[in-house]
Amino acid sequence: MNSAQLEIQIIASLVAIACAIPGTFLVLRKMAMISDAISHSILPGIVIGFFITQDLNSPFLILLAAITGIITVILVEHIQKTGLVKEDTAIGLVFPALFSIGVILIAKNANDIHLDVDAVLLGELAFAPFDRLIISGIDIGPKSMWIIGSILTITIGLLIAFFKELKVSTFDVGLSASLGFSPAIMHYSLMTISSITTVGAFDAVGAILVVALMIAPAATAYLLTTDLKKMLGLAIFFGVFSAISGYWIAHWLDASIAGSITTMLGLIFLMVYLFAPNKGIIAVFYREKQQRTEVSLLTFLLHLKNHNEESERHVNHLNEHINWQKVRSRSVLDLALKNNMITIKNNIVSLTKKGDDFTTQAIDYIITNENAQIEDMKEDFFLFRG
Amino acid sequence: MNKKIAVQVDDLTVAYNYKPVLWDIDLEIPEGVLMAIVGPNGAGKSTLIKSILGILKPIAGSVSVYGKPYKKQRHLVAYVPQKGSVDWDFPTTALDVVMMGTYGSLGWIKRPGQKEKKLALEALEKVGMLAFKNRQISQLSGGQQQRIFLARALVQNAAIYFMDEPFQGVDATTEIAIINILKELRKAGKTVIVVHHDLQTVPEYFDWVTFLNVKKIATGPVKDIFNDDNLTKTYGINYKVSIQE
Repeated sequence: MNSAQLEIQIIASLVAIACAIPGTFLVLRKMAMISDAISHSILPGIVIGFFITQDLNSPFLILLAAITGIITVILVEHIQKTGLVKEDTAIGLVFPALFSIGVILIAKNANDIHLDVDAVLLGELAFAPFDRLIISGIDIGPKSMWIIGSILTITIGLLIAFFKELKVSTFDVGLSASLGFSPAIMHYSLMTISSITTVGAFDAVGAILVVALMIAPAATAYLLTTDLKKMLGLAIFFGVFSAISGYWIAHWLDASIAGSITTMLGLIFLMVYLFAPNKGIIAVFYREKQQRTEVSLLTFLLHLKNHNEESERHVNHLNEHINWQKVRSRSVLDLALKNNMITIKNNIVSLTKKGDDFTTQAIDYIITNENAQIEDMKEDFFLFRG
Repeated sequence: MNKKIAVQVDDLTVAYNYKPVLWDIDLEIPEGVLMAIVGPNGAGKSTLIKSILGILKPIAGSVSVYGKPYKKQRHLVAYVPQKGSVDWDFPTTALDVVMMGTYGSLGWIKRPGQKEKKLALEALEKVGMLAFKNRQISQLSGGQQQRIFLARALVQNAAIYFMDEPFQGVDATTEIAIINILKELRKAGKTVIVVHHDLQTVPEYFDWVTFLNVKKIATGPVKDIFNDDNLTKTYGINYKVSIQE
């Protein structure tokens, strides 16, 4: 691995981290689409900034483009506030308009320079190491590494300082306002950070991958945890993992780095969506199946508990009484037997002590929904795992 | 009775898109009452609370809490929003939500520590939810979620509590548990203001009532003003409540 390769991976990872942090809050605030709007509509800001500064990496250009991002958000909210259209429609109206202004500006004036529509949409990470930052004659690394590094440092600083404010204003706008943490200030700060990050990452990874890096890692992490800090950590991990693995895939396939990273993000989301232990669809499917059996088991045990007459406890009667299909009653009966909850003598089913206790506990739990009573049952039964 | 005024509302008018939802409200809430705000849907009950708390900006009028603007008296006020106003799938636990009640006294940047955690655990215990402290909030029943919200307000140890429909979608047990806590708050000299829907329970739960329907219809002690006349004025139909002493 040569130093250019290493630098590309470092830049990609820094971009991934810088995107995952605001991305997590955008996902939780159900504002994923606003990042799409920002990433496209900052284009005119970048183009105009470029005409003025003649330098794609100038901080002034980044600021100007970030302001375009904020203008986008304000325009979307303004249109939405009229009550004539919904938010998604407002987004769909604003960003193509601004983006197309950018496209026309490029086509008219900047055809011969590094700024072209392809680069804007897809970025070109592979070229990032060529543009060096040289201070008093010493080469201290690629410019884009320093830019995204600085943005990331600011983001992390703000995240640590205002974590609780971000959390409360994301979870409960009303409480946040009544406590004096202005939701509007938090909202526009987040939008500003998202815009600045988008611009900083834009040159390296392009408009489409910026959106993917903001939303996909956060959405993936959301499926795996119920803790905001862990969600942030996981989002960062998925972002960095996709960035590095995506880079090597692009290397082997001789394909676009941005494209490969985005593909990895998609694949990881798919994997987690399928296999996540709690929210994954396979787990959900398995749990529902298991719960159906357990509900049948409970119905069955409760019936035994309520009836002493032998006629009510005959195997054949049970089949008819609880409206089971043959197969299902067999598996429920087996499950109860395996757990020593029933005994069968001459085709008459009786509850054991354990079965009796279990039924009482389970009904108690279902009525009170209190945890303490079923701690020891959690291992064996899905029904009680919250 | 010469009581202090906890909340004073003068000429308050609030509008959404230039359509007034509250019109010229004057309201004095004495200290130490347990007050219901009643009125039909769209009467502006939630809007009144939100405007008092500065969440909505009125187009005219003013609000004061113990004689000063709300902004200077935040520490005296706790707010329980409608349960439906937040996303219960948010990745956090019951304890963490209750801890949010301490954020106000902490101010910007400072983070909650052991002291705040202890306060939150005490509040959870008070609402009978200590066993659920580490549960993810989506795994709680509606009544339990409402108790968590109540605990979050208790943790603020305020002088005035505003609650937006705390009995919505909770079972009878939780309703009784909540009203008992509210009555305890009143006993401790706090002022509690509740947006309430169930007219039948007003005389049993509250000692003060405000009738609201865009305009203020009446406000005062339940035993004096909770009658068919005011109910008819508020709800617009000939209202007969058969509530006997």
